[in-house]
Amino acid sequence: MSQSGIRPLVSPERRFLLVALLPTFFFLLCFYVYPMVFNIETSLTDLSLFGLRRGGDWVGVENYVEIFRSGDFRSVLWNTIVWLTIVGVSVRILLGLALAFLLNSPVLKRWRLQTLARVLLIVPWATPPVVAIVVWRWLLDPRVGTINSVLMAVGIVDQPIAFLAERLWVWPAIITIITWNTLPLVTLTFMASLQSLPDELIEAAKIDGATRWQQIRYVYLPHLKPAIVVVVLMSTFWTFNNFVYVWLTTGAGPGLYTNVMATEVYIQAFINGKFGFSAATGVIMATIMTVFGLIYLRVIAERELAEERT
Amino acid sequence: MTRKIARREFVAGSALAAGLLAAPSVRSQSPVTITFRFNDPEAPQMRAALDAFERANPTIKVTMQRVSWGDAQAQFLREAAVGTAPDVAQVAFVWPRSFGGAGALRPLDDLIRRPGLGVRGWDDFFARDLAVGADGKAYGVPWTTDTFAMIWNKDMFAAAGINQFPKDWESLRAASQAIHQKTGKAGWGFPAGSCGTPTIWFVLNFYWWSHGPGLIDRNPDGKFRVSMTPAEIQAGFDYYNRYLQEGHNPRASLSYCLWGAPEIVEGMLAGNMAMASVPDTVAIEINTKWKQRNPDKASPFATSPHPAASNGSRTFFGGRMLAISANSKNVEAGWKLIQFLTQPDPTFTQHYTNYTPAQRAALDSRAWAPELSGYPEQLKTARSWGPYGTGPVPIPFMWNAVGRTAGSVFIGEKTSAQAAAELHDAISRELARNQR
Repeated sequence: MSQSGIRPLVSPERRFLLVALLPTFFFLLCFYVYPMVFNIETSLTDLSLFGLRRGGDWVGVENYVEIFRSGDFRSVLWNTIVWLTIVGVSVRILLGLALAFLLNSPVLKRWRLQTLARVLLIVPWATPPVVAIVVWRWLLDPRVGTINSVLMAVGIVDQPIAFLAERLWVWPAIITIITWNTLPLVTLTFMASLQSLPDELIEAAKIDGATRWQQIRYVYLPHLKPAIVVVVLMSTFWTFNNFVYVWLTTGAGPGLYTNVMATEVYIQAFINGKFGFSAATGVIMATIMTVFGLIYLRVIAERELAEERT
Repeated sequence: MTRKIARREFVAGSALAAGLLAAPSVRSQSPVTITFRFNDPEAPQMRAALDAFERANPTIKVTMQRVSWGDAQAQFLREAAVGTAPDVAQVAFVWPRSFGGAGALRPLDDLIRRPGLGVRGWDDFFARDLAVGADGKAYGVPWTTDTFAMIWNKDMFAAAGINQFPKDWESLRAASQAIHQKTGKAGWGFPAGSCGTPTIWFVLNFYWWSHGPGLIDRNPDGKFRVSMTPAEIQAGFDYYNRYLQEGHNPRASLSYCLWGAPEIVEGMLAGNMAMASVPDTVAIEINTKWKQRNPDKASPFATSPHPAASNGSRTFFGGRMLAISANSKNVEAGWKLIQFLTQPDPTFTQHYTNYTPAQRAALDSRAWAPELSGYPEQLKTARSWGPYGTGPVPIPFMWNAVGRTAGSVFIGEKTSAQAAAELHDAISRELARNQR
C-alpha cells in the first residue's frame, strides 16, 4: 500500500523485472517473432525472386496445397525424416555410446591412452563442417580419392565408385560425413555422464554377480538416460534442419535423390526463384519440428527426467 | 609591426577566401567511385582493364566486386530490392529481360544511341533481342559472346580408326564406344552430375534442337507452350543414358556437373577422355595448358560443331551483357565504363583475351587458332535462347528441372519415360501458372 493509500498496479520488484527483461523481449520480437510472422505471411503469397521490389500477390494456401500434392515432397519428407534424421541420429547415438564406454574403459586407463584418445576424439569436432565436407569429398572422389585408390589397390573393386553419385552409396556416405564431424559432442556428453556414475554402484552390481552386459543394461544405461534424452532431442533438431552437409556434399543430387527439406527450401527460393513456395516449405519444416519437440518433451523427456528425480 | 601583421592577415585571408571560392570546382573534379560486379574467373585481367579505364578517366575510380556465377543472379536481385546493387554489373545473356521486369536494372535507351558504344554502335551488337524487356526498353549491352563446340583428341580418334569428327548423333555415340573399346579410355565423358546449373542442360538442348523443337515455343497469338512431347524429351534422356550404360562415359562422371570441371580439363589433358562439349574459354584453357606442358609437341586437339540431325547442328548464342542497376547514382560514370569495356582495344586485345566481343565487327576480325576453328563454324548455326529467355518460365527453373530429371534417369531411380513425363508436367504447370 502506498502512502497515498493507492496500491500501485505493478510492484517495484516486478517493475524492475519487467525492465530487466525488456531487452530480451525486444530481441525475441525482432529476431524470432517478426521473421516467423513474415515467413508465414510470405508463404501465403506468390513472391518470387524477380518480384522482390514489387512484392508478392496473395494466393492463400495454394503453395501448401501444391506442396502436399507433389510427389517430390513425399520423397523429400522421407529423405529428411528417415535417412537424415532417424538413421543419422541413431548411428550417432549408438556409436557415441560405444565410444563413450570404450574411452571410459579401464583398459585405456591402464595403458595411459585415455588423454590421447580424448584429444583425437576432439579433432573432428574442431573441424568446421565446410572443411570436413571438402576433405571427405576428396577422399570419396572417384578419380583422385584415397578411398577408391585403396579399394582398387587391394583388389576389392575394379572400377572406382562414385560414392556421392550412386544410389547405393550416397546416403551412407552423407551419414558417414555427418557422423564423423558430430560424433565427438555426443560421445563427450555420454562420457561426462558416465564419469558421474558412483563407483559404489558398479561395485555393488559386481558383488551381486552382474555380468558386464547386465551392468550396462541395469546400471549404466539407466544412469545415462537423461543424457540420452537431451542428446537425442538436440541432435534431432540440428540434423532435421541441417542444410550444409547435404548441400555441400551432393547438392541434393544425384537427381533429387538426397533432397531434404532444408535443401528444398534453398532450391525453391534461390534456384527456382519461388520465395512464397519456399517459405511454405519452411513453415511446414518448422511445424514438424515443433510438433516433434512438444511430443518428445511431454511424453518421453518428462517421464525419463521424472524417473531420474525419483 | 602592426601594419606588417595586418598585411599578413590580409594575404592569409585572401588565400582562404580564394580557397573557399575554388572549393566547388575542386569538388567537381574529385573522383567518383563506382562499383563493378564481375563474375568470371579472370579477375586479375579484368582489374588490369579497369586500371586502364581509370588512367583514361582520372575522375572515375572503379571498385571491382566478385560473386560466383552460381550466386550472381540471386545476389543481384536481393541487392536491387533494397537499393544496394552495384552500379555496373556483368549479367548473363538471358537475365536483362527478367531483371528489367523486376525493376532491378536501369533502362539504357537514352544512352545506347550516344556515340562511343562498341565498334559500330548499338545496331552491330548480337543478341539485342535478349537485352530488351517486355516493356520494349533495353536493359543491357551485349558484351561477350560464346557457344559450345566439341573439342576432341585426334590421336585417340585415330587409335579407333576414326579420322574425322562424326556428323550425326549416332555416329558420335558409336565413335565414343569404339574409342573406349580400343583405348580403354572414356569417349565422350560429359558431366552427368546433378546441381543447380548442370552441363546436361546444354547438351540435352543441343540434341533436342538439332532434332526439331525446343522445350518452350511461342504461339502466333503470343502465348507460350511446351513444344516437345514427353516422347521427344525421353529420346534425349535415352541418348545420353546409353553412354553411361555402355560404359564409354564412366559412371564417375555422375560426380561432377560443370562443363569446366577439373575432371574435364585434366581428363582431356591427360588423354583419359577423347572429347568434350565446352565453351571456347574452356577449349582455350585446355589448349594453352597442353602447350605449356608439352612445349615441343603439336597439339592433338581439334574442335568441331556438334552433330547434326534434321534441324542441323544447333547450339546457343551464350554470353554476357553489361547493365546499370536501377539504384545507381553514377549513371554517367557507369556508362563511360560500359563504353570503354565494349571497345575491343584494350579490353579484348590485352586483358580479357579469352573472350569474344558480342559485335559483328569484332567477331569478323577475331583470329581463331587452328585448333579452335570449330567455334566460328558452330557460331554460324547457333541459335538464340529465344522463347526460353522471353517466355514466362525462368531459365534457372528449367535448367534445374532438366538436370534433376536427367540425373534421376542416369542413376536408375526413374525410367526415362517416367522422368520425361515428370519434366513435361513440371514445365507445363509452371508455364500455366506464370502465363496466368
